[in-house]
Amino acid sequence: MIEQLGGFLYVVLGTIFVALFGIGFGLGVLGVDRKLTAHMQARIGPPLRQPFIDIRKLLLKENIIPENAISWLFNAAPVFALAASVTILLYLPIGGLPPVLGVYGDIILIMYLLTVPALAMVTGGFASGSPYATVGAQREMITMMAYELPLATVFIALAWRLARAGVQDPFSLASLTSTPIWSVAGPLGIIGALILLIVLIFVTPGELSRVPFDTPEAETELAGGLMVEYSGKNLAMFYLAQGVKSVAMASVIVALFLPWGLSEFVPGIPALGILLDFLWYIVKVLAVLFVSVSLIRVAMARFRISQVVTMYWIYLGGLGILGLTLLFLDSLGGV
Amino acid sequence: MPDFTLFTGSGFWNPIFWFVSIIVALILIYIIYASGEKGYKRGTEQVKPFISGNPEPAKRGVQISAGNLYWGYMDSLRVYYRNLIPLHTGIITDYLLWMFCVTAILLILVVIP
Repeated sequence: MIEQLGGFLYVVLGTIFVALFGIGFGLGVLGVDRKLTAHMQARIGPPLRQPFIDIRKLLLKENIIPENAISWLFNAAPVFALAASVTILLYLPIGGLPPVLGVYGDIILIMYLLTVPALAMVTGGFASGSPYATVGAQREMITMMAYELPLATVFIALAWRLARAGVQDPFSLASLTSTPIWSVAGPLGIIGALILLIVLIFVTPGELSRVPFDTPEAETELAGGLMVEYSGKNLAMFYLAQGVKSVAMASVIVALFLPWGLSEFVPGIPALGILLDFLWYIVKVLAVLFVSVSLIRVAMARFRISQVVTMYWIYLGGLGILGLTLLFLDSLGGV
Repeated sequence: MPDFTLFTGSGFWNPIFWFVSIIVALILIYIIYASGEKGYKRGTEQVKPFISGNPEPAKRGVQISAGNLYWGYMDSLRVYYRNLIPLHTGIITDYLLWMFCVTAILLILVVIP
């Protein structure tokens, strides 16, 4: 009984810590993304702290609820989107620290939890009572259905290959991070895993509604789409959720493909090891987001919604199946 | 106290701990949310939906029907749907034939190996 109460207290404190970290770091990565994007476009860009300034400003602005809106749903959606984004982070390792809820959920749960903030956005869009937001919500639903196929293919292919290599609980984050795919796969499997990494890098901007998969918001076409009627503190919550979800998606890629730490280089000094692992995790998250968000959004223009589906189901879905097949062929030779 | 972790054979999750964590997250986020400005000017132009200055169309005119909800999806996979829709003849014996064929293929691919 006391042990279980201790477990609950750990979860409560862990959630508070991870929520504060996720919100702060999420805003930080949004600032880095804006700065790097600006430099790649030969602009100076806003200061790194600009997202923090934006949130402060949004919290001071009026929170307008349109007359056509279903107000309780319209207000609840942004809060729920942010809370759901925070819970994803609880299942993912941060630096060398184990996930707060690592023993209470696996990678399949993370895949489902990733849809919850998007569903909250869809609900908020439909509750706005605006034609633009309705079209945006419809597009968000289609985008979500589109990227689920390649996302699921990546997760299942990796876990299946680990299972073939005799790893216990292959869907658990602890197994996936302690036994990186690179350590069990042969040459064919490594090519397959690289293909799956590319697929996941292209799923990330869709998951985060960033260019070229930002059709649900499409500022120049739908005037913000889902977000068109949101202002003030409601918009601030969606902005924070964007940051937290960016960290969560990057952490998924880091956990699956780049799980190594630096603590093994400083044996005997645990505190320094934890600090080094944490800093290394920050570097890895920023590097992943640079490639999967900043670089892609500078290099590409927005897809039409039908092109989004073609891209995810036909091209990236096909690449995912190719990666899975290579891992299968690799397992025939190696195990 | 029972452990509510659900095992699926390959994976696992515990809904109780997820529920506890989302309640804690909701409380924390509501504290941040509540610190924001609450007021706005009700009954003014401010609360009209933004439609780029165009006159607001009738509600029925802008509603998207369920048939159009998945337009992007249907348009992108139109070759697939063009072939699939004619197979839905509405005749029960056709559907049973399809079911037997698919079951036979699945037996060959999954069960027999």
